[in-house]
Amino acid sequence: MGLWFELAASGLITGGIYALVALGLNLQYGLMRIMNISHGEFLMLGAYLTWLAHTVFGINPVVFLPVVAIVLFAVGLIVYRLCFRRIARTSPSVEAIEARSLLIGFGLMYLVQNAAYLIWGADMRGYSFLSDPVEIAGARFAGNSLLAFGFAVAASFAMLALLRWTMLGKAVRAMMQSPTGAQLVGIDTRVLHPMVFGAGLALAGVAGALLSMVYEITPGMGEPYTVTALIVITLGGLGSAAGCLAGGLLLGLVEAFGMHFTSPSLKMLLSYGVFIGVLLARPKGLFAR
Amino acid sequence: MSRDLRRMLGLLLAAGVALATLPWLASDFLLSLALTCLMYVGLAVSWSMFSGATNYLSLATSAFFGIGAYVTAWGFETLPYAVVVPLGGLVAAAFAALVGAAVLHLRGAYFAVLTFGLGELVRHAITYGEKTYAKTVGRVIADAPETTTVYFTVLLVAFLAVAVCAAVRASRFGLALAGVGADEERAQTLGVNTRRTKILGFTLAAFFAGALGAAMAVRWTYIEPASVFNPFIGFQTVLIAMIGGAQTLLGPVVSAVVFSLFSELLRLQFPYAYLMLLGLLLIVLVLYLPGGIGSLFKGRWARA
Amino acid sequence: MNPKSGIKVLAAALFAAVLAPALAQDAPVRIGYAIARTGPWAAGAQVTQEPNYIMWAEQVNAAGGLSVKGKKRKVELVGFDDRSEAETVVRTYEKLMGSDKVDLILPPWGTGANFAVMPVVQKFGYPMISPTATGRKLLQMKNPYFFAILQQPDQMMNALAEFLKARNTKTAAMVHVDELFGLEQASALEAAFKEKGIQLVEKKSYPMGVKDLKPVLNDIKSKNPDAFVALSYPPDTFLITAQAREIGFNPKAFYASVGTAFPVYRDKFSAGTVEGVMGLGTLNPKSSPAAKAYFAAHKARHNKEPDRWASAHSWAALQVMEQAVAKVGLERKALRDAIASGEFDTVIGKVRFKNGENVATPGVVSQWQSGEFEVVWPPDRATAPAFFPKPNWK
Repeated sequence: MGLWFELAASGLITGGIYALVALGLNLQYGLMRIMNISHGEFLMLGAYLTWLAHTVFGINPVVFLPVVAIVLFAVGLIVYRLCFRRIARTSPSVEAIEARSLLIGFGLMYLVQNAAYLIWGADMRGYSFLSDPVEIAGARFAGNSLLAFGFAVAASFAMLALLRWTMLGKAVRAMMQSPTGAQLVGIDTRVLHPMVFGAGLALAGVAGALLSMVYEITPGMGEPYTVTALIVITLGGLGSAAGCLAGGLLLGLVEAFGMHFTSPSLKMLLSYGVFIGVLLARPKGLFAR
Repeated sequence: MSRDLRRMLGLLLAAGVALATLPWLASDFLLSLALTCLMYVGLAVSWSMFSGATNYLSLATSAFFGIGAYVTAWGFETLPYAVVVPLGGLVAAAFAALVGAAVLHLRGAYFAVLTFGLGELVRHAITYGEKTYAKTVGRVIADAPETTTVYFTVLLVAFLAVAVCAAVRASRFGLALAGVGADEERAQTLGVNTRRTKILGFTLAAFFAGALGAAMAVRWTYIEPASVFNPFIGFQTVLIAMIGGAQTLLGPVVSAVVFSLFSELLRLQFPYAYLMLLGLLLIVLVLYLPGGIGSLFKGRWARA
Repeated sequence: MNPKSGIKVLAAALFAAVLAPALAQDAPVRIGYAIARTGPWAAGAQVTQEPNYIMWAEQVNAAGGLSVKGKKRKVELVGFDDRSEAETVVRTYEKLMGSDKVDLILPPWGTGANFAVMPVVQKFGYPMISPTATGRKLLQMKNPYFFAILQQPDQMMNALAEFLKARNTKTAAMVHVDELFGLEQASALEAAFKEKGIQLVEKKSYPMGVKDLKPVLNDIKSKNPDAFVALSYPPDTFLITAQAREIGFNPKAFYASVGTAFPVYRDKFSAGTVEGVMGLGTLNPKSSPAAKAYFAAHKARHNKEPDRWASAHSWAALQVMEQAVAKVGLERKALRDAIASGEFDTVIGKVRFKNGENVATPGVVSQWQSGEFEVVWPPDRATAPAFFPKPNWK
């Protein structure tokens, strides 16, 4: 019992971190078909801002979270205006939006990552925050990863509720199903698009801020997180808030149990195996609509 | 064989012959620069042949490339280089045929991310297998062939890739691939066996990526999963092909050469900020030339 | 300025640019290298290697230049980013040696990149002293121009086994990363443990890029070994440390590999937390006056401390090169022979090569104590007595 609980808890917390990483991209891709490959780079920006605030100015990282969100939201509006607006307006089809936004994402990735290399250098950075273990039912967890897990779950449910029950959510979903139709019934995509994109970056930034408490950070840290995010949102079903959470948690659980019952060497094989297996059985993800 | 295709192949042959004289004219450095260009020409053209035509965005290039490289790693001690390279292509093609049959019903981003996952799966499977059975993860290649030999090999593979892609585009098979890209269901009603077409196209593209991986691997002396299954090779291929215009033949060729030369020039001239410049240029290019470099060629060359 | 005079100025500048180097009495000694400034290798390369190159060139020039058989010449570094790609590494060295014909080269970062340049280095005959390449496989290539100045896996693991044996350790558990580094260290450690009679109660490996190793650490904790050894890379070193602390796994000896010697390791967890953690190290400022001066200079130039392991080896490699050039000049064959046969005084002590391997620097075990990575083994290099058993995690 103790063992199972510990494995499950460990898996869920890591899974929560995977879901956390994917939240922002899920919003951008799921709702706007913008394949933002530079997602991880903005996550890195959030992490560096938090690290800077904490180590240089001594600001509590949790208090700083809203600042990160606001800064990245603003960055998102600017990036959208400069890079993606033209694409969203001039592309003849959804496929073209996907393809072109992918290329823009590459450009942004080079740009942001290397700006970070120039500004902060390639060194690993890190600080200690909320790393003391908390005991829950006999098992011990680091406070910072519990916080990240908690945020991932809360944000997922908040997004779910927002999309399902509010006017804004209806507008966004309408936009997703038919951009032209949405415009016809009076939804202004010119306002909604930048907002959604900004919200996506804000979520990426907050995820980065939370991760900087748990792991060490480098300017190149974004790429693997982008990959994780892509896997998680595809596994869950693109654009589905519940799917994103479920996908992340599933991967975390598979890894924890797999590691214990087989060998940690097989960890990557198992997670990719499960991912591919799920997609073969359900070609549009767990929560396909 | 149509006249256009013949002219195209003639031109290609002339270019190939011209490029084949390079080892006697250029320094080692220019030769390896040309090598990189040719590698990406081969990768981008074969990628476009399938993904450009069908709109199935494949991220499996690095998987095929890595498989080819590992065929070299395993076979180089016992087999000659001339056998290892096509063998690398064949193994990658066999792998593509196998997985293609399983995954080619997925579409859009699902297909893209899944093919990426496949690459990672193979990479970790090889890591695990090597570690368990060979007690190591990397392989050392001793007595690698001369750069000139590698260059001629890669030139040949890239040349074949372009020639085959040109031939495919002019054939019924090429029309079928384009039909899948335009409207898969309609192509099916018109009597195209879309499933077989897709698998065949995927496999053919994989052959060239695998052969290129097998040919290039000898350059690095030490082959390990992390370097030969580098996802960046796959990303860069997609990037080059799409900037070039993946629906055209010439676009990816030009783009591969321009992109490789340009990023090298920037790297050597601006050792610290070159990737930022590259990123900026990329964004500007996509915003103001959305059809890719290929859209600059009008008329016959756009179609050829 | 009228156009004509503009052209004149331009022509003069061009003239100067083309002819000046040829006319100058002492053209600078050009030293080329490729190193990762971006990509996954950059974090290691920019802590351990390139800062030393830059600092060395500045120091040499400030002192009037590099002595080439007694004649002082300025040095000029020609460094490019290798983007953490083997192909770019090869191509850049082909350019440096084949086209630019630099006078000397410095090595790239990491075992993989060093492997990749082996054939070109041999072809062009440039001696290369590598501070971040480990592995018997590299030395087995028998490249006469390649010198490994970092301790090899068996030296480091023997030192660890001796240290543990001297403290009467009976059982140990080990995890390692599935990479050449981890595998070579692991087999060296197994051999060393066997010889010293230390029983290995658990051995597990994991792939690169793991984000959670708690289940593994929990398993090992339940076996209660005296010593725990992680043959890890920086991200996993950090992860294992954090998670061992999280679950309260506190064996008598806790050892992790690459990354423990980085100052950021201490800073990420706070000095109190890493108290008693052991790892790969060679020296610290207390080791010798030369080491103290090196640490101070590095801090002053780069505003950060060097790591306590391979950084000093990077510096020592430059010192070896400098001494050999002073003795025999820039003729590369003679330079190679001088490096291969000489003995050199460096920041890490005496350095002497045998078949390309530095045989003068012993394996070392270091341990974090009050914010300093103290050398605790071998006894003649120790800067402090070891904490054994390790104090509880704070």
